[in-house]
Amino acid sequence: MIGIDRRLLQNVDWPLLLATAGLVAMSATTLSTLNVGRAGGGVALRQLGWAALGVLALLVVASLDYRKLVRAAPAFYLLGLGGLAAVFALGRSVSGARRWIALGPLTVQPSELFKLCFVLMAVWILTSRWAQPPGGSAIVMMLPVAAVPFVLVVKQPDLGTALLLVPVLLALLVGAGIRLKLLGALAAAGLGTLPAAWMVLKDYQRERILVYLDPVRDPLGSAYNVIQAKIAIGSGQLLGKGVAGATQSRLAFLPERHTDFIFAVFAETWGFVGCLVLLTCYGLLFVRGFDIAASSREPVGRLVALGVTGLIAFQVLINVGMVTGLLPVVGIPLPLMSYGGSSMLVSLMGLGLLLSVRMRQFQ
Amino acid sequence: MALVALNRGPVPGRRDPGKQRVVGMTVGVLAAFVVLVGQLWYLQVLEGARLQELSDKNRIRVRPVAAPRGVLFDRNGLPLVDNRPAFTLSLIPREIDDREKVLGRLSVLLKISYAELDDALGRVAADSLMPVRVRRGLTLEEVARVEEWKLELPGVIVEVEPQRAYPSSRFAAHLLGYVREASDDQLKQGRYRRGDMVGQSGLERVLDEHLRGRDGGERIEVDALGRSIRVMQAAEPNPGAQVVTTIDRRVQETAERAMEGKAGAVVVMDPRSGDVLALVSTPAYEIDRFTGTIDRAAWLRVVQDPDRPLLNRVIQGQYPPGSVFKVVVTAAGLQEGSLAPMDRVHCGGAFTLGDHTFHDWKKEGHGTVDLHRAIVHSCDVFFYQAGLKVGGTTIARYAQAFGLGRATGIDLSGEKIGLIPEPRAGRRGRRAFLAGDVANMAIGQGALLVTPLQVARAMAAVANGGVLWKPRLVQRVERPERGVIWSDPGRVMGHVELSPMVWAVLRQGLWGVVNEGGTGTAARIPGLDVAGKTGTAQTVANSKSEKGQDHAWFAAYAPAPNPEVVVVVFVERGGHGGAAAAPIARQILNAIFFEKVAMAGFTGS
Repeated sequence: MIGIDRRLLQNVDWPLLLATAGLVAMSATTLSTLNVGRAGGGVALRQLGWAALGVLALLVVASLDYRKLVRAAPAFYLLGLGGLAAVFALGRSVSGARRWIALGPLTVQPSELFKLCFVLMAVWILTSRWAQPPGGSAIVMMLPVAAVPFVLVVKQPDLGTALLLVPVLLALLVGAGIRLKLLGALAAAGLGTLPAAWMVLKDYQRERILVYLDPVRDPLGSAYNVIQAKIAIGSGQLLGKGVAGATQSRLAFLPERHTDFIFAVFAETWGFVGCLVLLTCYGLLFVRGFDIAASSREPVGRLVALGVTGLIAFQVLINVGMVTGLLPVVGIPLPLMSYGGSSMLVSLMGLGLLLSVRMRQFQ
Repeated sequence: MALVALNRGPVPGRRDPGKQRVVGMTVGVLAAFVVLVGQLWYLQVLEGARLQELSDKNRIRVRPVAAPRGVLFDRNGLPLVDNRPAFTLSLIPREIDDREKVLGRLSVLLKISYAELDDALGRVAADSLMPVRVRRGLTLEEVARVEEWKLELPGVIVEVEPQRAYPSSRFAAHLLGYVREASDDQLKQGRYRRGDMVGQSGLERVLDEHLRGRDGGERIEVDALGRSIRVMQAAEPNPGAQVVTTIDRRVQETAERAMEGKAGAVVVMDPRSGDVLALVSTPAYEIDRFTGTIDRAAWLRVVQDPDRPLLNRVIQGQYPPGSVFKVVVTAAGLQEGSLAPMDRVHCGGAFTLGDHTFHDWKKEGHGTVDLHRAIVHSCDVFFYQAGLKVGGTTIARYAQAFGLGRATGIDLSGEKIGLIPEPRAGRRGRRAFLAGDVANMAIGQGALLVTPLQVARAMAAVANGGVLWKPRLVQRVERPERGVIWSDPGRVMGHVELSPMVWAVLRQGLWGVVNEGGTGTAARIPGLDVAGKTGTAQTVANSKSEKGQDHAWFAAYAPAPNPEVVVVVFVERGGHGGAAAAPIARQILNAIFFEKVAMAGFTGS
């Protein structure tokens, strides 16, 4: 199964890989200009290390038949849930959040790895024989499958990742062909639970939402990050300030400039033109991903491609939206760009899934 | 896995709705992308020049304005702790051009070690805009020196911030607790910002959430000389809530004065409500220094002090209760019928059980005593035998009913629970609980451990007929604009069920201790009916202490017919309870009942 068929290689999606390579390269360059904390310039190297590991994972995943992976989805899902639960027992706490587990010299973030498990599990449910045609029964089955990890991730607390599961799930339901009326009702019910959700949020999370609605509320806290990010992005103007001139970024304004706010650094350095290049890479990624989904001839491949593409696309949209001040700060990394091994690994594995679907679409 | 339906290809000739939907979503995502590009166009091209300007001379200063912490009041409205303005020296890392030079100058100017300054700066990013506080409580002279050299010290600022002020240096240190900058561990919890003042012990810690208020802040644009040009944004600080405690400041001060120079604890409690009127643990640490700047050496001196000034002996000190425990044995024996008021025992100064001799504290003995005289004179021989009659299990049960060896639930952190030995612990290889252990337990020795607060609560139960209160420290928390936001109505944690006859015998005995020439005579006050029980707890020999080895206890209530206060005094290695502790209780009771002008409003409640 692992041995790669020559015919499969003919269907490799080169534009997709090219866009990915471009993004990883931009990530490493941007990180190398930052002098982050005590880690120093090592961040860029480590990011490349993770990317290399990720490419390996990408190749392995791409060589596997995605249909077999979906068949094994319940096992992956349970494993992923185990990881999420383990965080509470073994987790390493960083600034108040328990999101990481140490595995030897590496730290992994189970909530990142779980994203893919979740996509596979959702596809498994939607394409199971008993759920055909996908409708009420699939949704009923899906609710606990989505709710349990959602609560676990919110408790870490990692609100951003938890919220991300919602649009991904919606995209999969839509793609599976569930009647839109049913989805509308579901969405209405979801909105109804918002007040309850508000109660569950931690104070600082509520504060972030309030600050988004009213930035003057806390000029020293969350709003500070957003204001400074806007100044950084805007001051990049059309062509950017170049590496040496990006004072706003090098003179730290945000504690998370190498992770969640890396887009601001990039935008200041390379300007609007640079941003266009970056967004074009992402756009290419999405268009190819959706194309794979659209041209897949059977639902498993279509939904896998759709789920993975949605996963990455929503992260990009939310992250850039939040850094540019269009959305509240929820703490979602920019896939392939933000510093973080687990995120990089998962993004590349997801792309591996896409390739797997593409290569087997004519089988 | 056969559940998975694979290879369900599209039906030829029909439009594929799934495909259409994917196309729809693609369009949606791309549309969102266009919005993002639009926002970037707006920020980078339309607004670019303005934001560029902001970034160029982004000499925007962030000035946190600390919210004053809430004030703690005593029950009569006197402040226990207040705020006063103090000068704080801060560094703005981003504005320091030459770190070595600036820190070097500052270190010479203010005689702060270079390492300390360097250390403070090292904890934050080298280009942070937020001021880092390096020293609080500068003197006026120091402020003048910094201002004089201002131009040579870019990035150095002096801010005015509220700081805790106490009536005296060690006032109610364990009760109030000290306030310090959030530690690294606390910062990791994510609830605090660097430099936040956080209550670290006592009420300041328990009530921190209420007391801290909400810091305000300003973003100001400054010129190259650090002069502010305009305030861009400002948020007013919101002061912390006020707390009305149950403490009576004058009682607290009297008790502290009475304990001066001794190690120990005092609890004054209202048996009618569980209100704690005074809570004293000595030696106390200098709370004002702990809250302000304290250098490492001074800190270590306190932490390593063999007298353990940081220990709150009222709730964390665990000691054998000594003869105070005879109250429990008497209650158990009378209630269970194994003792009777007319029981008589001849005390010749010692009691032999098997091959072991148990001595009375009075070598020559008390002669023939009945129960009442045994309590009054604290006759050990009587109680050795009483204990054997009542039995270890029963004694332990009653001790627990009186709340000994159980957490009182007081609103302070770090309370210890003490220990009531389980008489059945002989099984599983451990030493059996022998008759000798029961005899020892009956006079409050052996493995028994209680805290002074537990003793106070138990004595309050004797005074009020068996109600076991949760000691109350906080009456209410209030905000000027919102009124009372939290209040403690008081809580009963249990009842000691004894027949009226038993209560009567107990109270007569305790009255006799003080008023019939008993061991507590030193607490006698003409014109006031004081009742109480002395205790002298033997301790493990400690050759360093030349004074008496024994811990002194005195637990009292007054006025006996209708008790309004319970006073428990504990003096560590003070000697005999009647000699070392009872006079202190007398002093406190005297102040409460006969300096009424000062105590206005207290007994009238």
